[in-house]
Parts: sequence; structure tokens; C-alpha cells
Amino acid sequence: MNRNYILLMIVIVVLAGGLLFLPQKANYIQQDPEKLMWDIAQPTRYITTDEVAKMIIEKDPLYQLVDVRADYDYDMFSLPGAYNIPLDSLLTEQSDIILDVEDINTILYSDDDLKADQAWVITRRMGYKNIYVMKGGLNCWIRTIIQPKEPKETAPITEFELYKFRQGASIYFTGTEISLDAGEKKTLNVTRRKKETVAEGGC
Amino acid sequence: MGPLIPLGQIASGWDFVIALLIGIAFGFILEASGFSSSRNITGVFYGYNFVVLRVFLTAVVVAMIGLLYFNYMGWIDLNLIYVVPTYINSMVIGSVLMGLGFILGGFCPGTSYTGIAIGKIDAMVFTGGLFLGIFLFSELFPALESFYYGDSLGSATIEDVFGISNEKFSFIFVIIAIIVFYVTWLIEKRVRKTVNPYKFE
Amino acid sequence: MDTVSKEKSIPKYINPYFGGVLLGLLLLVTFYITGRGLGASGAVKSAVVSTVEKIAPVHAEESTYYSKFISTDHSPMFNWLVFESIGVFIGGLLSGVLFGRVKKLRVEHSPKITSKTRIIAAGLGGILFGFGSQLGRGCSSGAALSGTAAFSFGGLLVMVVLFGSGYVFAYFFRKLWI
Repeated sequence: MNRNYILLMIVIVVLAGGLLFLPQKANYIQQDPEKLMWDIAQPTRYITTDEVAKMIIEKDPLYQLVDVRADYDYDMFSLPGAYNIPLDSLLTEQSDIILDVEDINTILYSDDDLKADQAWVITRRMGYKNIYVMKGGLNCWIRTIIQPKEPKETAPITEFELYKFRQGASIYFTGTEISLDAGEKKTLNVTRRKKETVAEGGC
Repeated sequence: MGPLIPLGQIASGWDFVIALLIGIAFGFILEASGFSSSRNITGVFYGYNFVVLRVFLTAVVVAMIGLLYFNYMGWIDLNLIYVVPTYINSMVIGSVLMGLGFILGGFCPGTSYTGIAIGKIDAMVFTGGLFLGIFLFSELFPALESFYYGDSLGSATIEDVFGISNEKFSFIFVIIAIIVFYVTWLIEKRVRKTVNPYKFE
Repeated sequence: MDTVSKEKSIPKYINPYFGGVLLGLLLLVTFYITGRGLGASGAVKSAVVSTVEKIAPVHAEESTYYSKFISTDHSPMFNWLVFESIGVFIGGLLSGVLFGRVKKLRVEHSPKITSKTRIIAAGLGGILFGFGSQLGRGCSSGAALSGTAAFSFGGLLVMVVLFGSGYVFAYFFRKLWI
């Protein structure tokens, strides 16, 4: 056999074998600070309480909620179906199981934006994708979804529609009717989000 | 950090220029390796010419190991590389049909284009057949749809299915490839003594 | 059409391992640039879709398969794989010219069969390959080569079954080749 072939063979075996002995990389990719800064500036990382309400009502399988408050807060009140990952246990393996799911969007929330935002930065730094923050936190949730305010009469029609939706959602979440006009039937205006089409494979 | 196009680091206008250049390199390598000749290609099934196996396995090994090193160095994000989705039944039947088509036609799509380039009529007919076959499939698609989408594993990787890491798999693959290279070299030597030397055209 | 073969000497093909390393590096570069591997049959699919769209637009739109690939803002031929395949043709031509293999139109076949048999077999093979490539989500370059290199289980499956079934069928069609 040709000597060159033997040489080539040794090279490729050493290269392939070398892979086995490379020190393990950290299991997450560190974010480039510049990119992280850019991401932080993006308003798209926020999701409104209305969208969250809609998604809970529709039982949208593409989303999961994560409560980043302490566990006693979580036990007292929390959104239906939410996981609890207190801020200080974000780096544990348990939270990795929850967060590291492909194609599922994670929405973080706390009482206000602050803790959720902190958690967002940490998770981004750890390399998780599809992480969002519920804008305004639970305080905003109470204000908008549980006790929605009726818009002024001069308000545009879209605000009334939003109000209607919130009233419906409020009933859904509390089980009681709050200041309903009698006889008026409430329907939830829920529209399904369009599923993104996946690119078809090569060849 | 790659891959460049999915990460939006190349202006979209360059897409097709790059496609053309990559294609030219691809075609050149295929033709220069002898893939424009169907008798050359099918030699792999009769033991008189294992060029297909050699080129193919070497390419897989090089690309595999290269990808892993690129990933390790942080030059490419392996998670962003497109993974062909797996649909077991459909893929097995499709591959059996392709295997039959391969032995009958003597080309596969890429190599038939290079066959046309150097003036092979059989390559042109093969490509015409491809067109017809895909047309036929598209017309029959409603009847095949459930089979086509059935038994899906999603974008399953080898790691997902066999539970061995990419590094281990590529090492095993390299060892198998080397054994295959050696064994086929022995087979080729023996077969070439008995089979009349064939002429390349 | 009769076959012409005057060249007796073995043509200058490059060393297969060298070709393989080149192809592997090209595949790596392709992954680096595009995030997906090489492909070939996709171009024919685009050609089919655009032909059907031109001849029977209503039919194409109603069909669940064609409509997957029809986009309103550009023709299905305006596709990465189509450009790549044009490149494959040009590359093959370049290599053919360089190594002196571009000659007049001819059919290559085993001395035991006629050109006609070879043509029929090639056409049948093409149809089967085209049909199979759709079921298999890609051909030998798109699924088997690129898929396996990117650690796709499907790619490995296609590679093993494609070559495996090739060996099984090879016995029955040996007259075509040896």
C-alpha cells in the first residue's frame, strides 16, 4: 500500500481521536456582550399581559410561563400552568430542564419587570433562546386582566375590543363576573396565531 | 461566527452568486473524480471500481470532523446547521427506490448534471427521468401524503437516536471508513483480475 | 445513435481520496456559509413546480404539494439549489474541458447491451430516483452526504439503505454494467 495513504490515515485518526480528548466545553454558548446589549434594547423581548392571557386561554403549546419570584410568593398566587424558578436558582440543573426546550418560548414574569428582566439577562447570557418577559409583571396583570378599566367613550374602537377581551379573560381567570352589563354576551376574541412555515429541506 | 447566511452576515443579494460558485466547485470535483461516467460509478456495486465509496466516505469524514472542530473553536454554531428531518417509512422506501434507480440509471442527480456537461446522452435521459419521477410524485402526492408524513422523528440527530456523542460517532465512522477502504482495495484488486478492463468514455 | 469510443487510455481522474478531501472541505465551507449542505435534486423539483405552474396554474395552486413551493414574490426557479445546480453543470464542463473529456454526444454502456437498452434503463432509473428522492427528503448529495455529515439520523438512514439496496439490486441488473 502507498505510504501516503498510511500517513493520511494516521492524520485522520489522530484528528478524529483528538475530538474525544478535547476538554468539554461549557454546555452553553456565552453571549457576545455587544449582541446582548443590542438584544436588551429590543422591545420585542416584551410580551404584553393581554398576549399572555390569550395564550393561557388558548392553552398555546408553544409557550411556557416561568415565575421568577420566591417560592412563597409563587405558592400564594401565580398564573395557571407557570413553573417556579426563583431568581437565585436559575443556574441549577432543574431550571435547565425547564428552559432548555427547543421550539418552546419561555415567558418570565415577576411582580414587576425588575426581577424578570434580571432573569432574562442571565438566561440570555447562558445562551437560551426564545426567552421573553411579561411586560409590567403581575402588577400589570392585575391592573389589566383581572380588573380592567373601561375605556373612555371617546376612545377608539380597538380599545373597546381590548376591554371586552379583558373582561372575558377576567371571568376566565377569576371565575366571577365583574361589573358586567346584563344580557350582553361576552365572547372571547381569540385569533390563532399563524404558525410559521418551516423551510423545506434541500436536495 | 457561522453559518453566515442564517445569521444574516451576508447580504441576501450574494446568495445566488455563492450558490453558483459552490455549485461550480461541486461539479468540478464530481467530474474530476470520475462521477460523470455511469460505468465508473456503478463499479462500486460490482467491485471493479470503488471510486464512489472512496470519495463519498472521505468527504463525509472530512466534513464531519471539520464541523466538530469548527464548532469547538466557536466558528460555527452546530445547532444552526440544517438537520434533514427523519420520516422512517417514507425515507426507507424512498431510499430503496433510489437504490433501484441508481443501479438502473447509473447516476444520481448531481452526477447526471456533470454527465450532461461532457455530452452523455444517458445522463440527459436520466435527468429527464428525474423530472418525470418528481412530476409523478407531485401528482400522486394527495394519495401519499399520510405515508409521506408518517412515522416522523423530527429533526433527529444521530445523538438523539443512538445516544452517542457526535465526537464518538465520528471516531467510529472514521474507523469504519478506514476498514472499508482497506477491504474494498483488496476486493478491487481481485475483481480487476477477473473482469475485463472496461473502457472509460 | 451509436457509441463512439476511441480513447483507449484510462482518462486522468484525480485520486479519489484527494477528490473526497476536496469535496469534504467544500461541504464544510458550504455548511459554514449557508448552514445547509449541498443538494441536487431540488433543482429538478423547482423545474417541475415552475413548469406545472406555467402550464396549469390553477392545478398547481390547488395541489397540496406544488403549493408548498410556490411563492407569490418570485418564481420557483429563483432558488438556491437551482443556481447551485447550474454551477454543477458549469463546474462539470470546466473539468471536462480541462481533462479533455468533453466530446460529442454519446451513450456510455456495457458492450453486452445496446444503446437503446441503456437509454431505457437510464430513463427508468431517473424516474425511480426522482420519485424516491421526494420520499427520502433528498438524494445522495442532499440527504446522504450532507445529512450524515451534519449528524442527521435521516441522512445516515438514506445513505445505508440507498447503498444497501443498490447492492441487493446489483445482482439482477449486472448485465447492464459488466
